[in-house]
Amino acid sequence: MTLDRREILRLAGVGCAALAAGVRPADAELAPSPASADSWAVLMDTVACIGCRKCEWACNVENRLSDAPASTFDNLKVVDAPRRPEHDSFTVVNRFRSPADRDHSWTVKLQCMHCADPACASACLVGALAKDQTGPVTYDAWKCIGCRYCMVACPFQIPAYEYNKPVQPQVRKCTFCAPRLAEGRSPACVAICPNEALTFGRRQVVLDAAHTRIQASPGRYFPHVYGESEAGGTSWLYLAPVEFAYTGLPALDDEPIPHHTERIQHAIFKSFVPPLALYGVLGLVMHALRGDNGHQENTSG
Amino acid sequence: MAEHHGPKPVKTPFMSRGTLVLIALALAGGACYLYRMVFGLAAATNLDNQWPWGIWIAIDVASGVALAAGGFTTAALADIFHKEKYHAIVRPALLTAMLGYTFVVIGLLADLGRYYNVWHPMLPSMWQGNSVLFEVGICVMIYLSVLYIEFLPIVAERFMGRVNLPGPLRIFNRVVDSWLIVCHRFLGRFISLFIIAGVVLSCLHQSSLGTLMVIAPTKVHPLWYTPALPALFLMSAIAVGFPMVIFESILASRSFKLRPERELLSGIAMYTPVLLAAYLAVKIADLVERDAVRYVFEGSLQSVMFLIEVGLGVVAPMVILLSKRARNSIAGLFTASSLVIFGVALNRINVFLISYRPLYPEKSYFPSPFEILVTVGLISTLVLVYRAIVMIFPVIAAAPEAAPREVVVTAPASEPEGATR
Amino acid sequence: MSRSRPWIVSLALLLAALLPASASPQTAADKAMTEDCTECHTCGVPTARQPCLKACPRTTMVHQASKHQLREAPGMMHLDQLADLYLPVEFNHKAHAGMAEMGLDCATCHHFSPPGVIPPCGECHEPNGSAADLSKPNLKGAYHRQCLACHREWSHDTKCIVCHAPSEQAKLATAPPDPTDIVGTVHPAIAVPAKRVFTTPYQAGPVVTFQHQEHVDLFGFQCTDCHREEGCANCHDITEARRPARTQEEVHAICNDCHGADACAKCHDTRERPGFTHNRTGFPLTGYHQQLDCWSCHPKGKRMKRIDSMCRSCHANWSPETFKHHVTGLVLDEVHAGLDCDACHPDHRYNASPVCDTCHDDGRTADKAPPGVHSKTKSSGASSSSGSAGGGTR
Repeated sequence: MTLDRREILRLAGVGCAALAAGVRPADAELAPSPASADSWAVLMDTVACIGCRKCEWACNVENRLSDAPASTFDNLKVVDAPRRPEHDSFTVVNRFRSPADRDHSWTVKLQCMHCADPACASACLVGALAKDQTGPVTYDAWKCIGCRYCMVACPFQIPAYEYNKPVQPQVRKCTFCAPRLAEGRSPACVAICPNEALTFGRRQVVLDAAHTRIQASPGRYFPHVYGESEAGGTSWLYLAPVEFAYTGLPALDDEPIPHHTERIQHAIFKSFVPPLALYGVLGLVMHALRGDNGHQENTSG
Repeated sequence: MAEHHGPKPVKTPFMSRGTLVLIALALAGGACYLYRMVFGLAAATNLDNQWPWGIWIAIDVASGVALAAGGFTTAALADIFHKEKYHAIVRPALLTAMLGYTFVVIGLLADLGRYYNVWHPMLPSMWQGNSVLFEVGICVMIYLSVLYIEFLPIVAERFMGRVNLPGPLRIFNRVVDSWLIVCHRFLGRFISLFIIAGVVLSCLHQSSLGTLMVIAPTKVHPLWYTPALPALFLMSAIAVGFPMVIFESILASRSFKLRPERELLSGIAMYTPVLLAAYLAVKIADLVERDAVRYVFEGSLQSVMFLIEVGLGVVAPMVILLSKRARNSIAGLFTASSLVIFGVALNRINVFLISYRPLYPEKSYFPSPFEILVTVGLISTLVLVYRAIVMIFPVIAAAPEAAPREVVVTAPASEPEGATR
Repeated sequence: MSRSRPWIVSLALLLAALLPASASPQTAADKAMTEDCTECHTCGVPTARQPCLKACPRTTMVHQASKHQLREAPGMMHLDQLADLYLPVEFNHKAHAGMAEMGLDCATCHHFSPPGVIPPCGECHEPNGSAADLSKPNLKGAYHRQCLACHREWSHDTKCIVCHAPSEQAKLATAPPDPTDIVGTVHPAIAVPAKRVFTTPYQAGPVVTFQHQEHVDLFGFQCTDCHREEGCANCHDITEARRPARTQEEVHAICNDCHGADACAKCHDTRERPGFTHNRTGFPLTGYHQQLDCWSCHPKGKRMKRIDSMCRSCHANWSPETFKHHVTGLVLDEVHAGLDCDACHPDHRYNASPVCDTCHDDGRTADKAPPGVHSKTKSSGASSSSGSAGGGTR
């Protein structure tokens, strides 16, 4: 080694500075991921929804979720108690009542929101969950290792897990009827909805229709389309007669959830420079300090 | 360096009253582990769609990884910063890390629904670079390999030239022996590459373990939810490294009736208040910056747990270790390091469980007896395996004579008496 | 020219007089056309080939032509364009049209109706909506929204089987309402007014007293016998001005169905009249007759007419041999029981007072010296012999 210790330590200091400079929030690398205007979307109009549960039945049939007969879904009482999507029911309809007037109520259909920038897909370490460019957030059970990080990540608490299965358990959630979309058909729930509370189309078209409805009947709708910007935008959009705090949908800001972690991740792994820099700095320190305390270093290469 | 002894296999009977208890716990945990594998998570755990993660993640994995940090901090201190006198504690720390990570993986397998797919992150076709968990997984996998590689010289030292496989395996004796020689020669030259890699990998995944929960801004309580979580995780992992070594060294010397290396332990304990203070400073600065101080005294479960974590787990041991008298007494060292370990483990439990608030809570989570027994069983098994390994391999340095480490590494065969079991 | 002008004027007047109803939509159409072309067309110069009509502009065009009367509305309709999961809907259009009068009339549902026409829903709402045009619901959505917007708010019952029969079953779960009911649907009991006193422009007798209760109770009229083509709006939640005004002919037609040949004075008077009693007919009802309803004597289903007061005109099968005198309230003593009827009731005039001087010459009367014993009350005596057909007090 021709470099003396002082010089090496100075190099190490420079390396540390480079490291510190490297590990910075990598905002520039987080391309804004706006929901594609051309992808498929569904508008859920809670004002038009009558809570008939036909969507639940259609979903159950389409996805072969359970053997429950159609008459199971004729019981409209169940919408009064809040339910969550489960591994055997990808969508549920819940009723919410106005605190001021108990007779005034509205029903909200819940399912995967199919975020434009889904937290579950960002979380999934094997890419089992992925955002399809046409809209659906798809799940590939073959890849899944069953870690359930997607369930931790989901800001809507949607993915459900087959805890009851010792082998081949799956994460279950609304598929957006991706196979039907591929055939040019609308999702099963949309197709069956009698009251057209669900409107299916290209996201921009659906958004325009939503805003048109708000403008045409300002008294009927709270002037906001939920999902237009929440969590960076979702493929499922909602209209409501009241503030969305009364619809059971979570209050979210406009930043896509994955940005929170990807900003950190991409900073640490920017082209592997920070880890390699740390490796180099530690190597230099190790080399520079060797022979300290009068000991001979044998193990170092 | 006068009190620095060369590591040797510990000569003590394996069975004792303590090991009997541990064996019982390990067997119970193993039975529960089997139960979970046969009947599934619903039968064995209290996990559900609101609580996807329980103590198997919070304790077995998150706390396990944190408490295995002694391996890389000690390696950094002794091998990178060349504080050579601490070489005596490198091997126990390395063994702790190796076993710790091994049992992290075993515990993780219980929690994974499709544990048989655990190798999937290794397939390039499934790499998902945006995922924090992918990074944690890959780093842990590589680091575990590195730990085993770092342990190889100890195996070589113990068995090189003395390979004596039982029964018909005897024919492999020469192959294994020559392989050990190759390992020894290769690692003798390049071990430092692996040591540095181990430190880098540890820094990466210790911090990323904190990034994991950053993806749930609406679920994690504001006392813990911060983009600084990775930094806090890394700092707390570094801070808990030496206390873990002290804790386990004192326990081992008690158990094996050896004289504790008090001077060495007091030496590394010097760093701990500094590291704790830095950790605490960042933690408080972060709270202030996020305007989250008001949650500290809100009286909720979270605020109480936070106060316990910081007060008992950070401030208390920091104050104790600032005192020279406490640092120089076994009792003081043991108390303080226990508190640090408690504090960091509690921090992981807090971040992964206590702070987690499902969006639509229907019930709260408390681990099932199966979950608790599996966790306790895994810890018991770890201790048993540790005990077995230090009785087979030269890990703990407690011989009365001073035996410089370099002699040990370069001429292991010259100490045949160390091979007796 | 000068000779032809009066002819044209008179023809025009005749047409105007004959066609008041058909004229108004036309003028409304003309008015709409002259108002603003862009209400319907997207381009400045629409042609027959390229009319560039707007796609069903719900918000800009509503039903603005003349009101349609409820009686014009179709009755039951069979909605089967979308029968799939469920059987077609038997839709009582008239009943709903009646309810719509309380709101925006036809426009409550037929929200887009160009002047003069009411297009079927399917004209704008295609059976299969397209994902590209979300400006209006498809036919299924349009039907259901139209129905359920009200059903949800009023009945809080949005079950499918309220309107549909499931296709595997043959019958509707709820039977269609009785069309003779006043509102064409199940309706809570209505308080019937006892009488109504009208003031009319008829100078000779401005006051008409209509005994409503009597017409219902005595003559057994159903509501819809008189309240024809009436809807919910006749009573509910509607201002007097919006209540459809009846012409003199319409008002008289309702009464004249029964009172057709009667003189004006039959109803019209200078003062309010008391209600009907049978005494006014010269045949006061007593005894057993008080128990009867009108149709026991007067032919049912026919206009109420004066009938002969002779007993035999009603009691055609009456014979002296089977008659038991005690039903009249007078049990004859042994002496009188053996006599022929005409011994006391000459010429079988039973409604006249019986005579005694056929046998007795002391000037006695039946009141002072009854030919037997009176039972306690006449009615009890009458009811005790209800099986026999006969009345002796006439």
